[in-house]
Amino acid sequence: MSTYLYLSLIPEALVASMLAPDDFGLYYAIGSAKRSRGQAIFFSVDRDKIADAGFPLADVEARCVAHSDGRPKSSLYLSIYRVLERIPRDALTALHLATDDGRVLTIQPQEFVADGEERTHLYQEICPVTPRIVSHLNPAEFAGFITDTDRNVHVPRIAFTELTLGNLKNDPDHHDIDNLPYPNIGHLRDCLRELAKAPDKANKTVLRQMTQEVLFRTIRNGVFIGDSTGITAFPLPTRDTLEREHLAWWRSAQSTFGQ
Amino acid sequence: MPAWFWLVPVASVVALGAAYGFFREMMKESEGTETMARIAAHVRAGAIAYLKQQYKVVGTVLVSLTLIFCVVAYVFHMQNPWVPFAFLTGGMFSGLAGFIGMRTATYASARTANAARRSLNAGLRVAFRSGAVMGLTVVGLGLLDISIWFFVLTHFYGTNDAHQVVVITTTMLTFGMGAAVQSLFARVGGGIFTKAADVGADLVGKIEAGIPEDDPRNPATIADNVGDNVGDVAGMGADLYESYVGVILASAALGAAAYASSGATIQLKAVIAPMVIGALGTLLSVVGVFFVRTGEKATQKQLLGALGRGVNGAAVMIAVASIFVMRAMGLENMWGLWLALLAGLLTGIAIGQAAEYFTSQGYAPTQRIAAATKTGPATVIIGGLGEGMMSVAIPVMAVVTGIGLAYFFGSGFSFGTDTLSLGLYGIGMAAVGMLSTLGITLATDAYGPIADNAGGNAEMSGLDPEVRRRTDALDSLGNTTAATGKGFAIGSAALTGIALMASYLEEVKIGIQHILDRGLGYTFPDHFHLASTATDQLQSLNLMQMMTHYEVVLINPKVIIGMFTGAMLAFVFSGITMKAVGRAAGQMVDEVRRQFREMPGIMAGTQDPDYARCVAISTKAAQREMMLPSILAIAAPVVMGFIFGVPGVLGLLAGAAAAGFSLSMFMANAGGAWDNAKKYIEEGHHGGKGSESHKAAVIGDTVGDPFKDTAGPGLNILVKLMAMEAIVVAGVTVAISLV
Repeated sequence: MSTYLYLSLIPEALVASMLAPDDFGLYYAIGSAKRSRGQAIFFSVDRDKIADAGFPLADVEARCVAHSDGRPKSSLYLSIYRVLERIPRDALTALHLATDDGRVLTIQPQEFVADGEERTHLYQEICPVTPRIVSHLNPAEFAGFITDTDRNVHVPRIAFTELTLGNLKNDPDHHDIDNLPYPNIGHLRDCLRELAKAPDKANKTVLRQMTQEVLFRTIRNGVFIGDSTGITAFPLPTRDTLEREHLAWWRSAQSTFGQ
Repeated sequence: MPAWFWLVPVASVVALGAAYGFFREMMKESEGTETMARIAAHVRAGAIAYLKQQYKVVGTVLVSLTLIFCVVAYVFHMQNPWVPFAFLTGGMFSGLAGFIGMRTATYASARTANAARRSLNAGLRVAFRSGAVMGLTVVGLGLLDISIWFFVLTHFYGTNDAHQVVVITTTMLTFGMGAAVQSLFARVGGGIFTKAADVGADLVGKIEAGIPEDDPRNPATIADNVGDNVGDVAGMGADLYESYVGVILASAALGAAAYASSGATIQLKAVIAPMVIGALGTLLSVVGVFFVRTGEKATQKQLLGALGRGVNGAAVMIAVASIFVMRAMGLENMWGLWLALLAGLLTGIAIGQAAEYFTSQGYAPTQRIAAATKTGPATVIIGGLGEGMMSVAIPVMAVVTGIGLAYFFGSGFSFGTDTLSLGLYGIGMAAVGMLSTLGITLATDAYGPIADNAGGNAEMSGLDPEVRRRTDALDSLGNTTAATGKGFAIGSAALTGIALMASYLEEVKIGIQHILDRGLGYTFPDHFHLASTATDQLQSLNLMQMMTHYEVVLINPKVIIGMFTGAMLAFVFSGITMKAVGRAAGQMVDEVRRQFREMPGIMAGTQDPDYARCVAISTKAAQREMMLPSILAIAAPVVMGFIFGVPGVLGLLAGAAAAGFSLSMFMANAGGAWDNAKKYIEEGHHGGKGSESHKAAVIGDTVGDPFKDTAGPGLNILVKLMAMEAIVVAGVTVAISLV
């Protein structure tokens, strides 16, 4: 049986498992008794590229073994806390988004290319911190800003996603919020207005801490891992591709209520 | 037998033939992939299992009541000897109509989904023509039942004696009661079944386990799809079968009474006129079915237009054709009766339009409820209740306007009470007009659950997004037509209720006749006495004189007690059925939770859920929970008649009709508006799926489910069943009453 390494963002952990990504996502989202649920965001990790990162990889051979009745070992936590910063970006070979009922979408990494659109951005930081931010900066600039060691407030590496702002992206006062499920839209408008009035201000915090699951349907252009050396993008497929090729995941992502 | 009568069996055969043709045409379509066929087979098996169980229970009830009527008729001689058999055939034909319609629907859903893979028009064609099987079977069997009984009874009683014609028509009314008992079980049982499954599937599957609607991992999803068929197809079919035959028979009875002194020829024309109009409408409904087609890129509006062409085309044709037919029949007051018919047609359309306005997400009421979701579930509930209550105004005004105009036209352009019988006959003709195109209006109704199931099949089978978009468009259209259909059913109940009250008094006269025939005298509550030989004097009493002798006035405490009791019954009946849904849904929740707990492979997709157990739970719950409301509906007129006699029963029927009609409209429209407010949000308004607004809207929809699909539609059957029951036991009421 193969053994896989996964970097989980919720919670931040390095996990060894004998389950392939789809099965691990199912297990991670709804547990073994299937009575709990919660979405999962995790990466496949290239073991060879973290050999020098100081993780107890020897434990994988020793402890990540099948149960006596033949069942595969579902999860062996190798490390928690400050894991993301110790894993190089190029060791993350795929991103897996598991809905809260265990449907998994796998996305391959790509080089980030800015779309060049003039708009305000809404970012949800996922790891290691979880504020929600409105920003003038594009994803690459934003990652650089957050991981800038010259600033007092920074993190070594950041995982985040850009969320859709719909009609508010260029007009905070637009009357039609359409399909935006964010709580307290009034406050979001205030933050966007404040940012619009201050061109020199790069970012404005909307929520200090993520209080709900990320509704996958609100992800605008994918999930990003960035640090001072650059950014890796894991772009979400187009709506049409999701409907055609990943229907079960997409239906599940749309029906998620959050908690 | 007048030559025009033969149009009735001919139309019956044409309708049944066309239904068979559409069925064969549908069956030639492929069910699609193996997965699609497997899912359809699960739903079909569940639906048949439900019907078997239901028919066992309702069969027992029908046979028991038949035996009681046999005792009353043959031992105590308080009833016409044909009553038990007429009662039994009504129930059997109604059950057969529901069975055929539901069987067709369960075959049609996968075929509709598969046809939608070719084109939107192909999907519409399969779904609609399968719905037409139901519509045409209902009217075909209705007309067949009427033809057979009219033929048999006229053969035994003859048509030369005006009183015998009255006896024939009022006897035939009793098969309406058999149909009403069957339809109560089908409608209320189906409503409890479908909402228990729906609420259970939503609460555990969608909310707790977080899996989407129609996800095959949800153990209750097949029961939910089965419920669409047993509630919305079999239930609606049985309901409207009963309405259809009830309307025609009540009008025939009113015609017999109104023209009793006009000579046999004229009286017989008045009796068969409602049957002939029904037959004409049936033939034109078959024509209308062929008008329904649409282009490949059709919008929702164009789809609605396609169905409208069929329904409205049939309505216009009946309006025009009936002029020539009524003229050719040589009916008295022909233009007045034609205008009454037209008033009924327009009343039906007005009720349908009002239902669409108050429940469609394209209009302000539903959008206001959707907007209320921004402030939480409580305001959604308040908003839905408020809009639902407001929605009662237009249908009630439409019905009272229709009643007023029909009376005015039918009575020879007068509001006087000296022509009461003629005016009431006009109201009966209006009701016939409203339901004359039932063949096609019911097709648009039965089409809804077929399209709904087709959408579920497409989702579960993972068909191409384009196919699902097409089935979604068909399903969405079905929601609108379902609301319109419910309005029709409720509206017709209001008009039929009035016609049946008049027929009740005719049956009371026959009950008195039975007493006189036994050599006894009869004394009315106002002390007016009829000697045993006073048959002619009894026959000469008109409706107003009967009301006078029975002291049916508002200040008579017997009438007041009856009215308040009738109004109360409408609420209690709703309460019982709503609570039944709550209890049954609770059982379903427990079962779905158990399966998720004990069968972990379900969520992983490695183990099939036990769909059959969920179907069985809903079935048993429905059968058990429908007993109390059924007993209530059947017992109320008997108990009221036993204690307070004819005035009490008339008060009971009036109170139940007035309160039941309004309450039913309120519940159907509020439930529909809550449902569509949720859909409106899911289309992307007010935050869309997953937002706080959506959560509030889901709560509103869950509250509204038993409103619109259980209690609301059940009420119109309550009203009609109580009236039919009163008619059947009128002989007993006349003979025995305590006060």
